[in-house]
Amino acid sequence: MTTLVLVSHPHLADSTSQQFLKASINSDEVLWEHIESQATIDIEKEQAQLRQADRIILQFPLYWYAAPAGLKQWEDTVLTRTFVYGDHRYPLAGKELGIVVTTGMPAKAFQRGGAEQITLDAALAPLAAVANRARMKWLPTFAIHQFAYLDEPAKLQLVVDYQRYLTQTQPDSLQNKQAWFAQHLPAMIERLPLEQQQAGQLILTAFEQQQTDLEALTDTLGLIKEQEDD
Amino acid sequence: MTEQSQWLREQIEDLAVRQSQFTDRAFWLALSRLVQEQGRRQEQLEGEIDGRTWRPDRW
Repeated sequence: MTTLVLVSHPHLADSTSQQFLKASINSDEVLWEHIESQATIDIEKEQAQLRQADRIILQFPLYWYAAPAGLKQWEDTVLTRTFVYGDHRYPLAGKELGIVVTTGMPAKAFQRGGAEQITLDAALAPLAAVANRARMKWLPTFAIHQFAYLDEPAKLQLVVDYQRYLTQTQPDSLQNKQAWFAQHLPAMIERLPLEQQQAGQLILTAFEQQQTDLEALTDTLGLIKEQEDD
Repeated sequence: MTEQSQWLREQIEDLAVRQSQFTDRAFWLALSRLVQEQGRRQEQLEGEIDGRTWRPDRW
């Protein structure tokens, strides 16, 4: 799977959250691009990148309940009518569109009665409408609230939650999660110092056993339910 | 949490604390959380199987 991450931020170097997210990417299947770093937007190149990606991520801080101006400019330049739907070919159809949004306010602020009085889904509605027009599949939004207040355990968790948001099969079910970890385990074991690799292999074997046990239990339960229906 | 998943979590967390790179540590700790979730799901499935098998009306 190829994922294209398009970051919009007017001052990227000053953003600790964006630098953190960039450092969290560990996959060669992920193409990362900062929109505002480009002197001019190369429409051909941008459209080609979009065509090649299976999952497209728009990543930005929320400014006044919307993406920064740079992303809107990119949209207005790259997502031409002809490209998106004008020629009835819909080159983006079936691709997934995910939003990674950082906010300065906590999650609880984004609801009716909350400090912001608006949900993130409502604020992001124009982007969801674009996805709909392009016949793309809208993914549940990945929101990071108040990054500066996250403690170390929360930051450690964010690294992998973010990696999974970029490359794991959706929906975020236990089964898909297991498959993602099973796929990444061999490479992570290889990264271990030599003296720890045996422990890593042991973990892999036990993990696979857990997966098999769970599948067997699910099958058994399925059979019982089937018999009950008879 | 089953005994097996408890043991597995200990092995993973022992490995996690020995990783110097932040993103490596993050991976192993996330795996440990997944194993916890697996253990929980296993207990729930076993409980449901027990509950559905225990049917006095069908004795």
